[in-house]
Amino acid sequence: MGDSQYSFSLTTFSPSGKLVQIEHALTAVGSGQTSLGIKAANGVVIATEKKLPSILVDETSVRDISSLFFHKSQPFSCLLFRCHFLILFFFLNYLWQVQKIQILTPNIGVVYSGMGPDFRVLVRKSRKQAEQYHRLYKEPIPVTQLVRETAAVMQEFTQSGGVRPFGVSLLVAGYDDKGPQLYQVDPSGSYFSWKASAMGKNVSNAKTFLEKRYTDDMELDDAVHTAILTLKEGFEGQISGKNIEIGIIGADKKFRVLTSAEIDDYLAEVE
Amino acid sequence: MSKSAVDVPPMGGFNFDLCRRNDMLAKKGVNPPSFRKTGTTIVGIVFQDGIILGADTRATEGPIVCDKNCEKIHYMAPNIYCCGAGTAADTEAVTDMVSSQLQLHRYHTGRESRVITALTLLKKHLFNYQGYVSAALVLGGVDCTGPHLHTIYPHGSTDTLPFATMGSGSLAAMAIFESKYREGLNRDEGIKLVCEAICSGVFNDLGSGSNVDVCVITKGHKEYLRNHMLPNPRTYISSRGYTFPKKTEVLITKITPLKDKEVVIEGGDAMEE
Repeated sequence: MGDSQYSFSLTTFSPSGKLVQIEHALTAVGSGQTSLGIKAANGVVIATEKKLPSILVDETSVRDISSLFFHKSQPFSCLLFRCHFLILFFFLNYLWQVQKIQILTPNIGVVYSGMGPDFRVLVRKSRKQAEQYHRLYKEPIPVTQLVRETAAVMQEFTQSGGVRPFGVSLLVAGYDDKGPQLYQVDPSGSYFSWKASAMGKNVSNAKTFLEKRYTDDMELDDAVHTAILTLKEGFEGQISGKNIEIGIIGADKKFRVLTSAEIDDYLAEVE
Repeated sequence: MSKSAVDVPPMGGFNFDLCRRNDMLAKKGVNPPSFRKTGTTIVGIVFQDGIILGADTRATEGPIVCDKNCEKIHYMAPNIYCCGAGTAADTEAVTDMVSSQLQLHRYHTGRESRVITALTLLKKHLFNYQGYVSAALVLGGVDCTGPHLHTIYPHGSTDTLPFATMGSGSLAAMAIFESKYREGLNRDEGIKLVCEAICSGVFNDLGSGSNVDVCVITKGHKEYLRNHMLPNPRTYISSRGYTFPKKTEVLITKITPLKDKEVVIEGGDAMEE
């Protein structure tokens, strides 16, 4: 980074003591699709809207990838999808991973609000850091450590030459020896531990809703229902398993993204 | 002392300056240090449902057995395992590193790892180090394209085979395979054949010994049978253990100090005039 013409930072202080670029980054986050997280007594749930910008967007490319792992019983549909994928792969291979909730380690997952491409970069870096920790200490990385390292990366980009801050806020959900944890990381690199939080559009309504509904002894299923209700609050149009994504981690310490069929089941329970 | 008429500028490539000196030293009996070899027998076969890998469990440091029950079958991915022969540190470091890379690749692609990916990552690394990373590996696994078995040599070349052996006991094990291997073995026959091959290495090669580890990999399932066979149990000469004869009885104890203790009194009164 010192080689380029811009060896000075583009994020500079304003006379009032604010870092304007970070404020703007937070605005970018604020105009992204709503996402939220809730920490229950025996797990964590994170959820986000997944509204496609137009009806012309190819829905199959935005399908759950985790559903493809267990394809033993559906060889034919897998083949169909693979043809689709092969065509897409050559032209738009970055579109392949349009799953918004991503897994970082077997027991930590993450969702974002803001710019998708920035999120992809952070996910890659975080996975690498988690893997390096595992190679050194031969144990899974604790949630706080991973959050701290990701936040450090985000802070780097506010103080390095020629780069801009990341336009995403992350919600990191994990379950380790200290129990279930939920962290929010901002573009500035600061991180907070939350019992329940929301980001993106409609954040103030979502947060008031969560404040009213949250109880300390919630179970994971209750938390999923609350998450769905919170998303429903500010949702424009018909909510279904296809336009929201939910990720959960329970006492089994295995993070997974729910399939759209499972989300539809939860939706039916809520109504 | 005549100087050369033309001064040759320094060039790249191997510098042969010390070769004459080394030759002279070797003639006088001073040999360069030889590499530490760790003997091993590692094998792999393809059977009808997948792959079976086998390894002995002896680690040697020259003529000494330093570990009687070490693990030579390393984890690479949930569906891929790798046996390592050669320097133990090299095999462990290289398999650990590639296993890490495969995990990151799995997260990024959202798919099960393929054996050919592990193969390419390993051979790239080993070729880069021109054989100095002394790791001879038998890599086996089952992925979406079927079961695969490969051998990787320290210099980076690879073979794809239905049955493979590596290590100092490889000839003994290969003899068993060449005579008894056939396609379409079932699980029990396959494990029996692998154990036979390893035992042949264990009993006929000094660098291999102790127990037999087996790993069976099939589509969607793996079984790591640690110490599947223990053909070398420890037998003690006496089952009661060791007892030592009684020492001489103590009759009297007398302690004589060797030097008289001198007592120094400080702070006494000054001498009076």
